[in-house]
Amino acid sequence: MTARQMKLGLFLWATGHHIAAWRHPDAHVTAGIDIDHYIQLARTAEAAKFDMVFCEDAAGLREANVQIASQTSRSIGFEPISLLSALAAQTDRIGLVSTASTSYNEPYELARMFASLDNLSGGRAGWNLVTSASPIEAANFGATGLRPHADRYARAREFATVTTGLWHRKPAGHDGESFTVRDPLDIPPSPQGAPVMVQAGASDDGKDLAARTADVVFSAAQTFEEAKAFYDDLKGRVAAYGRQPDDVKIMPGVAPIVAATKAEAQAKYDALQELIPDDVGVALLSSYLSISDLGRYPIEGPLPELPESEGMKSRQALVVEQARRDGLSIRELARYFAGARGHWRVVGTAGEIADELQARFEGGAADGFNVMPSWFPGELDAFATLVVPELQRRGLFRKDYEGRTLREHLGLKRSI
Amino acid sequence: MGHRMHLAVSLNIATTDGRDVLDFGQISAFVRKAEGAGVDMVIISDSADVPSTSPFEATTLLAALATVTNRIGLVASASTLAHQPYNLARRFASLDIISHGRIGWNATLEQNPREAANFSRPEGFSDHDFRRRGEEYIGIVQGLWQGWDADALLFDKAGGRFHDPDKMHFLDHKGEFFVVRGPLNVACSPQDTPVLVMSGLSETDRDFASRVADIILLEEQSAEAANAATADLRRRALAAGRQPEVVKVLLTIAIESEPPIDRLRILPGSSGCDGFNLVLPAGVTALQSFTDRVLPELQRHGLAGRGQQGATLRARLRLGEGSAK
Repeated sequence: MTARQMKLGLFLWATGHHIAAWRHPDAHVTAGIDIDHYIQLARTAEAAKFDMVFCEDAAGLREANVQIASQTSRSIGFEPISLLSALAAQTDRIGLVSTASTSYNEPYELARMFASLDNLSGGRAGWNLVTSASPIEAANFGATGLRPHADRYARAREFATVTTGLWHRKPAGHDGESFTVRDPLDIPPSPQGAPVMVQAGASDDGKDLAARTADVVFSAAQTFEEAKAFYDDLKGRVAAYGRQPDDVKIMPGVAPIVAATKAEAQAKYDALQELIPDDVGVALLSSYLSISDLGRYPIEGPLPELPESEGMKSRQALVVEQARRDGLSIRELARYFAGARGHWRVVGTAGEIADELQARFEGGAADGFNVMPSWFPGELDAFATLVVPELQRRGLFRKDYEGRTLREHLGLKRSI
Repeated sequence: MGHRMHLAVSLNIATTDGRDVLDFGQISAFVRKAEGAGVDMVIISDSADVPSTSPFEATTLLAALATVTNRIGLVASASTLAHQPYNLARRFASLDIISHGRIGWNATLEQNPREAANFSRPEGFSDHDFRRRGEEYIGIVQGLWQGWDADALLFDKAGGRFHDPDKMHFLDHKGEFFVVRGPLNVACSPQDTPVLVMSGLSETDRDFASRVADIILLEEQSAEAANAATADLRRRALAAGRQPEVVKVLLTIAIESEPPIDRLRILPGSSGCDGFNLVLPAGVTALQSFTDRVLPELQRHGLAGRGQQGATLRARLRLGEGSAK
């Protein structure tokens, strides 16, 4: 029995996770229309033995203000299930996890899409279940206003039950509140049985659904204490549903900036921060706080008091807490937040970053990490060539794949 | 007419008997052989009246095929019941960029009762409602495909302008069945828009299809009937203000054991069609026999592999621009 090793996901997003990534001189600015770029990223991650690549998703623009949107690279990109199906044919081992919303899809449709991706990849697919909280998305599906948080999760629970039931060949026929399905799934299981179930909701409803149904949970935590509290809370809920704590892998996001020296890494980060226009930073922050008028407060001043929103409840609390704790102005918070979107930012040498990851991994705050490079391909290449070998030297990460399927990489039981 | 014959091959991966399921290697090898022999496009569908045993869904399969081919057109059937129009438009737009402009969507206005039962519509629609819904749906998809102008992306790092907001267009569709604001979050297609193929058309559908479709697949029928249907479709396209030759009409022919070469040689003249849609059974033996025996015959008789091959499907078939403008 080898020692427990961490799991690593590569979070693919547009030109990079930093809002100004696309303006970096070496960033691949045409990422959103270049499939070869994504094939290259997936192969880099596969050569570094990552467990998976992961795509998030929204069925609409990210930003309602068209002027703001036009200063980011996030208005266009590939639909992720199509993207990952293409990558399936161009990779051999790495897991392929796509986000898809329960709000604007049908369970029979998604069950088929993911089962097909799972077969195309020989058992490497995963589904990150999300509910859609964006009014921009709602407007593309005839919905007026936003469904209340609780309704979205009721639909999500039913959706997850139907979809996993189809994958697990449960007796056919479902006639529920939101969905009816008559037939069994018409696509046979892959070598891993069923796609891996991933979730990222950090609200009470979200954590509860994850504890019941997820194999992997992505989270956002700034400090060790937050990460540890989330980890313990979720593993406790898992046990309450009669599952083994190790049946669910918790992988917080980490946005690393790595270089040969700490000063060099800090300089790379500062240069990126300088590329964020004020209006873009504030707009991004506003959208995560689900308020539309943050721009009318003085940018040098503190964050105003905020009402609780129907949107990203848990993320909002995280952001507000951060600002109060550090006494940040709106601009400072906007810039800080824009860099990693509320995720954990680590700037340093490979050794320093490995130290930080090791502390959370061994301290019972993470089973692995979802790596969010600031810009592509440079920061992925830096992580793969500097940090991964350091983790491998310490015995914290695999030197080669143990199996063929995503479930095997993650140490999960075959699902069927 | 001076046009080159167009050749499509249709493969319904769902119509297997359960013993002879095609894997990805077999399907991609077949598509590459068809590509090498000059076939213009493969049309893949994945639904039948009975549940399939194929491991793949058509659009995901197309994405994978796009990365292992480089010239052949790739068309998938996708249901207007299984997918919301925004999601379907987005998926095909993405596939089109992945394939560098070789993608088409095969749409039908026929209702498959099996789908209604599995997509939370147990009561289904009346034929009339389904047709009107389908027409609205197709209009939305074509509209969404035109949300971004070809020169909308600026990539201006120094100036901080990623795209030109004036070249991104909201659809703002409010119809009887759908409300869709848009725009799509996928860039402009490399071929203006993905190609719209329509099949399974009744006479009622001809007006609509001749207005919006790039390619129309006729059911298998006599040369005389096909000739009349083709003339009728061209007349309607002209009446709708289109140049009739930008709508390609392909006559469907089921390929059984023996290649119907004599029939294929005579038909273009007598049917008035632009070419054929050859429907193959999705079995290893049938595909093998097609690539070994039928394709060489088609090439020998000049029925495939002639003419200038364009980079995109639209250029290759000399289609017009996306028709919903």
